[in-house]
Amino acid sequence: MIRRAALVVVLLGIAGVPFMGGDYYTTLMLPFFGYSIALLGLNLLFGYTGLLSFGHALFVALGAYTAAYMTSVFGILHFEAILLVSVAVALVVAVPVGLLCVRYVKIYFGMLTLAFGMLFYSFLYKFYHLTGGDEGIRVLRPMLLGQSFPALGKVEFLTGPYYYYSLALLVAAAVVMWRVVGSPFGLCLRSIRENPEKAEYVGVSARRYRFYAFLISSIFGGVGGTLLAIPTGLADPLLAYWTHSGNLVFMMLLGGFANFFGPILGSFVFIFLQDQVISLTQYWRLVFGAILAVIVIFFPHGLMGVFDPRARAGG
Amino acid sequence: MLGGVFHAATLFLVAAGLQLVFGVQRIVNLACGSFYALGAYFGFSVVTWALKGGMPQPLLLVALILGGLLLATIGLVVERLLRFIYDRDESFQMLLTFALVLIFEDVIRFFWGTAPYQLGNLYLVYGRLQVGGLTIPVYNLLVIAAAAGIAVLMGWFLARTRWGRIVRATAENRAMSEALGVDMRRVYAGVFTIGTALGTVGGALVVPATAAIHEMGIDLIVEAFAVVVIGGLGSMRGAFVGALAVGVLKAVAIATYPEIEMLAIYVIVIAVLVLRPAGLFGRATA
Amino acid sequence: METTRRKFLGLLGGAAAAAGGLGTPRAHAQAGPIKIGVLPIKAGVGALPGEYGLRGTLWATERINAAGGILGRKIELLVEEESSPKDTVERFRKLALQNKVDVIVGVISTGVGLAIGPVAEELKMLWLSWDGTTQKGVDESMPKPKYSFRSVDNEAEAVMSSILTAKYFKGKFKTVAGLNPDYSYGRDNWAAFLAIMKKYKLGVTPVADLWPKLGTTDFTSHVAALQQAKPDLIFSSLWAADVSIFLKQAHAVGLTANTKLVFPVAGLVHETLKKAFTPEGMILGYNSMYFDMPKPSPLLQQFTKDHQEKYKEWPSYESDHAYFVIAAYKAAVEKAAKASGGKWPSTDQIIQALEGIEVESLSGTRRYREDHIMEANFYQGITTHKNKYDFVTIDPLEVMSTKQIQKASGIGLYEWIESWKV
Repeated sequence: MIRRAALVVVLLGIAGVPFMGGDYYTTLMLPFFGYSIALLGLNLLFGYTGLLSFGHALFVALGAYTAAYMTSVFGILHFEAILLVSVAVALVVAVPVGLLCVRYVKIYFGMLTLAFGMLFYSFLYKFYHLTGGDEGIRVLRPMLLGQSFPALGKVEFLTGPYYYYSLALLVAAAVVMWRVVGSPFGLCLRSIRENPEKAEYVGVSARRYRFYAFLISSIFGGVGGTLLAIPTGLADPLLAYWTHSGNLVFMMLLGGFANFFGPILGSFVFIFLQDQVISLTQYWRLVFGAILAVIVIFFPHGLMGVFDPRARAGG
Repeated sequence: MLGGVFHAATLFLVAAGLQLVFGVQRIVNLACGSFYALGAYFGFSVVTWALKGGMPQPLLLVALILGGLLLATIGLVVERLLRFIYDRDESFQMLLTFALVLIFEDVIRFFWGTAPYQLGNLYLVYGRLQVGGLTIPVYNLLVIAAAAGIAVLMGWFLARTRWGRIVRATAENRAMSEALGVDMRRVYAGVFTIGTALGTVGGALVVPATAAIHEMGIDLIVEAFAVVVIGGLGSMRGAFVGALAVGVLKAVAIATYPEIEMLAIYVIVIAVLVLRPAGLFGRATA
Repeated sequence: METTRRKFLGLLGGAAAAAGGLGTPRAHAQAGPIKIGVLPIKAGVGALPGEYGLRGTLWATERINAAGGILGRKIELLVEEESSPKDTVERFRKLALQNKVDVIVGVISTGVGLAIGPVAEELKMLWLSWDGTTQKGVDESMPKPKYSFRSVDNEAEAVMSSILTAKYFKGKFKTVAGLNPDYSYGRDNWAAFLAIMKKYKLGVTPVADLWPKLGTTDFTSHVAALQQAKPDLIFSSLWAADVSIFLKQAHAVGLTANTKLVFPVAGLVHETLKKAFTPEGMILGYNSMYFDMPKPSPLLQQFTKDHQEKYKEWPSYESDHAYFVIAAYKAAVEKAAKASGGKWPSTDQIIQALEGIEVESLSGTRRYREDHIMEANFYQGITTHKNKYDFVTIDPLEVMSTKQIQKASGIGLYEWIESWKV
């Protein structure tokens, strides 16, 4: 009951930011939405299935470049269409990558995903005739639900219709993910994480379920990436670099991987903390590295673990 | 081709450090690139200071190696930190090393700034050699020889000495070693420090022929990973062969198809991971 | 917010004017300092020009503030960081929306510039870029920018070097090799060079085409490839720490002895081009500022002196870009204020004043074209060891203006090259 109430309060708070928070912080919420969706996917892999991907940025970048291609190259501005294509593209790439990666666990999985992420980065950088290389590809302003809002400048668009659209997407994505992890499928994932041999014994194919989890996580990554690309207005190769994947993992851990909402909290705290720290000191990487170290050593369950030590994601 | 071998030599040192630590402690040390960078900057400083103090130029190599070894003491500090999480999931250990990458980046920036540091033509103090139609600085050959020497030394150490056997035993079966009375803490501390030393010395040796530049570690990590994957996680021989493979591949690509240089390496990494996940020499663990 | 404050300042100025004295500095100063957002690169290979740009900005600001500021208002710098396009867009938005700065200066890398341009327009934020203007940026991917003021075309230095190559090396080379950083800047420069060689009908054959990754430290393979290809001339748009590494390694194997070298932009790191491994007779470019002019302006002299004292280094041209934008802004504000009777000018008025404005910069007179592109003098020349430093300088020094080496607005680069009369 309290949980429900807290959720509603938080949602109302988020919905109210454009009115209270000022333009800049409102625009800063937009990567929060994008990253949160991507992290829900990442945590499906890690928190629920036990696979730590160091290449999730690959799908985030894919989503961004999809948005770029659709808007600049093909001239399709309907955001719904862009999102659908994003999902499709993420799946198309995730199938072969996933098939290869889920054969391995733990460290090999992490290294393989890192390699794929960097492979995509190199591809984006080198095949510049297709991808724009280091200059990237522009991402134009999309139409939401068929409306282009010609009267609104980009900032009003971002802090108005696009803000609420993104929030709705996040809620929808969270609902979907909630269903997924609560379903028998989700239970299977957890059993695989805990004890793969036993799961196999009971007839649950570890590899198959990991593969499905990988596919789902890739979709969330792609959608998140598409959302991220609009405020930036450009898709560039750095989105796929391994340190970007590292940041995603950082966010997930910061919020707490053992809790469904942990990654979302992590995304929020990371973005706003980074914003403040960057303006304060040029040694912000050191501050963040120290924070990550402290989390890993002392608070492995992240902020959610601190706030709500009893809440584990379904055990 | 020989250019590829020079690069392979330093790559081997860093990868060997990675391998050793992984083989024994099962930790993927993302900060190996940071040690490399630290070694480079520190090596530069040591040489500059020594030259000012009147060191004769030919002692350059000695100064570098000593500098690298001296810096390796930070490995002890880092290992203490890692001790907190030895019993945790591997992923956490990798993450802690990622945190170190971030921290070291700014540590370097704090002490040395972001400008590049170079030793000019100092490395030519050892002269040049004419081989075939090519001129090669003797320094490069010395570095290759040093790396090869270290490889041999490591091989001998692991195979022949008592301590080496303990290290290998721990790598094979930690629980058993412990049961047999081996002091894990000392083994781990020692192994990690040697792994660090390999990185720092590698970085120091590279500086005279090239430079210490900002973020040199971040890019090297990916290559070191490629080496380790190709050669097989945990295998010294693998590090050697893998480094050679990557170095030569790069050299060949540059000479023939520069476009595919980095891509080719990743493709090979993925191919190896798929076809022979243990790498060429590693132990099979899926 | 922006409009209410302007209105308020306008009222203030009006009141002061009424009280006596047309918009006195004291009246303006009551409005508080002018906030200038700065976006230098602080990490990676770009940190080097980023640092130089920041130094130029600091020096300009200190001098202006010491002389009373702009119309009595001191300048306050808010320094953020240029990193990836996504992150830099966020910092830019913060400066504009949260810190509400009056103008933003900075940005060196092309990709970031392409992302920032549209953002500056949509935020109606005046942005004076230091660098990073490519073909794409100047072409119609952002037609008729209002709030963005870009730098000189990236290819200008390559164009000048190519013209000098034809002048000094004509008839002395047949085969060329390219050693350019593997990204758009390197590609554009190499393409421009080849196009101009063709235009001059020098009968040049490319024999090697190398693309080291930006920030490469090991050129042994590249050097080996070049030794194999044996080009008569090497054209290289390397600009970072890699220039000296390459030269060092090339020199070690004797490559620099008999090959003509053309390095249009290596003057950024001129102090690392030590005589020990940098040959004489090389075409070297210093972009828009050469610190060792035979007859330096007092401004350049002062800057060079201060720079050497403070940083123990000789200055580099990115400082000039940074100085210029601050100086241009100040001049534009003053010009617009005069035109509007002493009131503090609006952004639109400042923009109008900036178009076509001409100021003295560290390197001589520089200006903004009506299409918001910079015009400046470019300094390149043939390297010599005859100086008092341990690194090379240039003699003879060639000066060309952007009127000769930068295309006019509305025409493509290659079209323009085609139209030359040689």
